[in-house]
Amino acid sequence: MIRGPAALALGFALVALTTFIAVSAGSTGMGWGEGGSLALLRAPRAAAAACAGLALGVGGALQQGVFRNPLADPGLTGVFGGALLGAALLLGFAPEAAWSEAWRLPAAGFVGATLASAALATFGGGGGSARLLLAGLGVNAFTAAATLIVASVRPGARETIANGAYGDWLGTATPETVWLPALACVAASLAALRLAGGLDRLSLGDDVAVTLGCDPRGLRIRSALLTSVAAGAATCLVGQVAFLGLIAPHLARALAGPSHRMLIPLSGLMGAALLTAADTVGRSAFTSGTLPAAAVMAALGAPAFVWIARKSHD
Amino acid sequence: MTEPLVQAWGLGVTLGGSRVLDGVSLAAEPARTLAVVGPNGAGKTTLLRAFAGLVPPSDGELRLRATGGTGYCPQNPSCAWDFTMGELLMLSPRPEAAREWCVRLGAGGLMERRIFVLSGGERRMAHLALALSNAEEPYGSLLLLDEPTADLDAGRRQAVIDALATLRSAGTSVVIATHDFELAHSADTAAVLAEGRLIAIGPPDSSLTPEVVRKTWGVQPSGA
Repeated sequence: MIRGPAALALGFALVALTTFIAVSAGSTGMGWGEGGSLALLRAPRAAAAACAGLALGVGGALQQGVFRNPLADPGLTGVFGGALLGAALLLGFAPEAAWSEAWRLPAAGFVGATLASAALATFGGGGGSARLLLAGLGVNAFTAAATLIVASVRPGARETIANGAYGDWLGTATPETVWLPALACVAASLAALRLAGGLDRLSLGDDVAVTLGCDPRGLRIRSALLTSVAAGAATCLVGQVAFLGLIAPHLARALAGPSHRMLIPLSGLMGAALLTAADTVGRSAFTSGTLPAAAVMAALGAPAFVWIARKSHD
Repeated sequence: MTEPLVQAWGLGVTLGGSRVLDGVSLAAEPARTLAVVGPNGAGKTTLLRAFAGLVPPSDGELRLRATGGTGYCPQNPSCAWDFTMGELLMLSPRPEAAREWCVRLGAGGLMERRIFVLSGGERRMAHLALALSNAEEPYGSLLLLDEPTADLDAGRRQAVIDALATLRSAGTSVVIATHDFELAHSADTAAVLAEGRLIAIGPPDSSLTPEVVRKTWGVQPSGA
């Protein structure tokens, strides 16, 4: 474990390094192209991956803190799935509206994620890991099924929605589509820093937290809303990504300890570096084609999930 | 007569459809120690939680007037994350005081240790120090401890008793729920609860009599 400022410096360095590689690496090798033309083309995608990863990492840290559970990951508990469903409904039933204003798709994602958060809190809160994960499994299955149904009944949007479900929207990133969701990702992540002290106290349980001046209910609502903003915005950039919200906080905790003052920013930086790296690997490491960033994340994340689950239930 | 920091008149609490407290009237005063004793399931923990403002009364009246902070340590204190003991104490609104209490409780050498590897008793000391630090205003603080001496060895148990005496003489109102009869006898007042009702209250020698013990617990009091 390293001290906070050094851990943050390491996090920023990793984001800088992965972003530099992301704008430099292509399927035909490294380079920025003539006058930096290739780098400029890749920049929106790299920015989208970094900002989405930041928000997804922070979302994971918030959800783990609120549920006091190291297995909570908004990608597994249906909150990111809710964001995709919200976006899919807009894309399926009002495609013109979806693209006419930059804020509409993230807003639809936010509404979907908020409803999924509410369902998760209603059915999965107040119990142990099993109850949370089972409720999350249910919410996730429901959002996935509903997204599939939307894609099936609206053939015009099927390919777009399917790409979102594969976590393969980064390829469509342009400055026009990226700027607003990216800004929302950064804003939600910065706002989340204010919840750190409360989440630390919440780790002692609601009763003790209350006597230490924390308002658990208000904290949960603010946290769920910020996670939903992060989920809605990040989903518009990348589509659905599982396991990032699980792995990023675990790396951060291993680096700098469990205090949320370090955990939240460091989870965001780890998330940004991981998703950017996963996207770069997915689009440049295979000569026969590209892999969505979400597939690379899942290939890393699934074994990590099993390892963490075993460790936390030893 | 000083004004009580907590006063209950006919306090009743229903949780999940069960009547947990019924018609309990008692008060916690500054610079006094109140021990709440009773068999398992008597409602001791719920009474402490009500005093901390954590469960609302279903009926009766409960007046909370603590002005100097409320320190609360539950029966099974826990922490979701593997903080070091020093980091855990930083969660107190008065972290310096929490560290000082930890030292006075004899756990000062454990500051850098991770709490998941501490023993149950060592961990309890950290949570107690946290609660003590939050009830440290010279006057008007309320300290609510649920089984504070459980898991503790004789030396640590004495350190806790000494710490409570210090806070009490500084003006804190100390309320402890306990199965430790010796600890209960050291309090100014003992309240005996059974099935949510107040059976006896008063100075321990008059409320915790061998007859009350026999009737309430169905056993002969030790040493009687």
